Amino acid sequence: MLRFIAIRLVQSAVLVLIVLTITFFLLHLAPGDPMARYFHPDISPETVQMIKERLGLDKPLIEQYFRWIGSFIRGDFGVSLAYNVPVRSLLADAIPNTLRLTIAALLLHIVIGVALGIVSAARRYSFFDRFSTVAALFIYSIPSFWLGLMLILLFSLKLGVLPSSHMQSIGAEQLSGIALFADRIRHLVLPAFVLGIASAASIARYMRGSMLDVLREDYIRTARAKGLPEGAVFLKHALKNAAIPIVTIIGLSLPFLLGGAVVVEKIFSWPGMGRLTVDAIYARDYPVVLAVNFVVAFMVISGNLLADIGYALLDPRITLTRRGAGR
Amino acid sequence: MRGIGQNGESKGRGLWSAGWARFRDNRLAMTGAVIVLLLYFVAILAPILTPYDPIEHGDIPRMRYMQPNPQHLFGTDKFGRDVFTRVLYGSRISLTISFLAVLISVVFGSVVGAVAGYSGGFIDAVIMRIVDALMAIPRLFLLLTCVALFSGSIWLIVVLLGVTGWMATARLVRGQILSLRGQDFVRAAEALGAGRKRIVLKHLIPNTLTVIVVAATLRIGGIILAEAALSFLGLGVPPPTPSWGQMVFEGREALLGAWWVSTFPGIIIAVTVIGYNLLGDGLRDAFDPRQYV
Repeated sequence: MLRFIAIRLVQSAVLVLIVLTITFFLLHLAPGDPMARYFHPDISPETVQMIKERLGLDKPLIEQYFRWIGSFIRGDFGVSLAYNVPVRSLLADAIPNTLRLTIAALLLHIVIGVALGIVSAARRYSFFDRFSTVAALFIYSIPSFWLGLMLILLFSLKLGVLPSSHMQSIGAEQLSGIALFADRIRHLVLPAFVLGIASAASIARYMRGSMLDVLREDYIRTARAKGLPEGAVFLKHALKNAAIPIVTIIGLSLPFLLGGAVVVEKIFSWPGMGRLTVDAIYARDYPVVLAVNFVVAFMVISGNLLADIGYALLDPRITLTRRGAGR
Repeated sequence: MRGIGQNGESKGRGLWSAGWARFRDNRLAMTGAVIVLLLYFVAILAPILTPYDPIEHGDIPRMRYMQPNPQHLFGTDKFGRDVFTRVLYGSRISLTISFLAVLISVVFGSVVGAVAGYSGGFIDAVIMRIVDALMAIPRLFLLLTCVALFSGSIWLIVVLLGVTGWMATARLVRGQILSLRGQDFVRAAEALGAGRKRIVLKHLIPNTLTVIVVAATLRIGGIILAEAALSFLGLGVPPPTPSWGQMVFEGREALLGAWWVSTFPGIIIAVTVIGYNLLGDGLRDAFDPRQYV
């Protein structure tokens, strides 16, 4: 088990390095002086030359490459051109906000997806099953920015029951603990729903298939044969085993959630990494764009690593074969 | 899933006609095919189907934000332009961009996947790690980074959509090639002295073609959504060229007063993506039943 974790750790570290390398080359492939993107246009050429020499930017490409990787790994992403503050401090503000949104969406889509999948599997080929199959396809095909706008139109503008933007109301800092919490939850509902619902549709399809596979296994027949009530067979024996692959699916859905956050944050004025990126692109703020790119990839790779380890811990078959192979 | 059971019944007919028969029997797949065909007709016939111009401003004080009515089925936008007309012309942009981008990503992905799968060893390992790394960056972030670095024309958007989407195809084709590589007909070709290039191009890629076509069809929906998202963020097709994503974005400023400006283009995007997804699922079921087992 430890060996497995160690191997996956090394693999993930290599992936992070490759992501950094690709970003570096993207930067140098783009037309124009790549390092000019790291300086404010108003600075005089002499000063730029001085800074370049101090930072080692006049050194050969290969040396720059290693310096660049070194500084990214240490978390030094340079200075934002638009805000003139270290990129790191911008990220420190944005990352928790994106995580809050993404984790809420993740929870939502697991709960909705797993519940729908179970009911579909239990009532296979029923009206509900057919309906949810078609509904999943529709939801999967709807552009999230459009769904977001429609929900704002309905719930915020027409009905006025939910806020349409920002993480909390103006002046919410003065609210007491519970009221502040409720206010934030109300602001979280729409964006988390929009972000999570598309992945929920695919989890539901996956869960349905996984449940149906498990229900064909011998131990389910055994459980039925020994006279357990159908509900117990379903929830205790089948669900537990069918849910294991979901761990992997959660890992795989991370890039979709983080990518989707770009659009959702923009619509709902959510001050996270997605909005930071889009605004940075408008402002040609390259250090921010590249840093966010790296951080997001890092999150996805770590998420997949955790999902793989979780899967190995949950599924007894994996550890058994590993141990068997070791002997 | 259903394709396998019907194999027996279609004995004696060719692979393609049997597949076509399975496809015709699948009501959802046919719906998808009809939607997609209809969209191409609409794109080609747009000037005949509508009397209005998609770009020229109407008489703004009189024509802006008109409700949907018999003359303007989807209403008008803030410049007094007919939304229906813009949706029709927008289909040209979405269909062209998605088709070209998928072509780029599928051709590139297939070649890379085939090379990786056939070479094996070190080359395979290096290529697949690069694929893994690129796939770790969420599509939209990768796209945005490229857009920021290489900002430019609509063709650049096509190329970027293509080159940021080839990784999944490469993985798929590599898997197929690996399973084909050990088979007798490839060994025979090798024994006859065929070169690596010939084996990949003449023997391996043609045999993975069905899988590639199905994957490409299923990917078009995703590309349309990506292009729409990019245009919605103001980083895709530049105005005034009508693109669906950008139309949804423009309707945003008058959402409450003129809901139709955003609503209709969004519905059309969803219908288009559903059409391609149904078509792709149908093709997969009909021509490639293995995928389902």
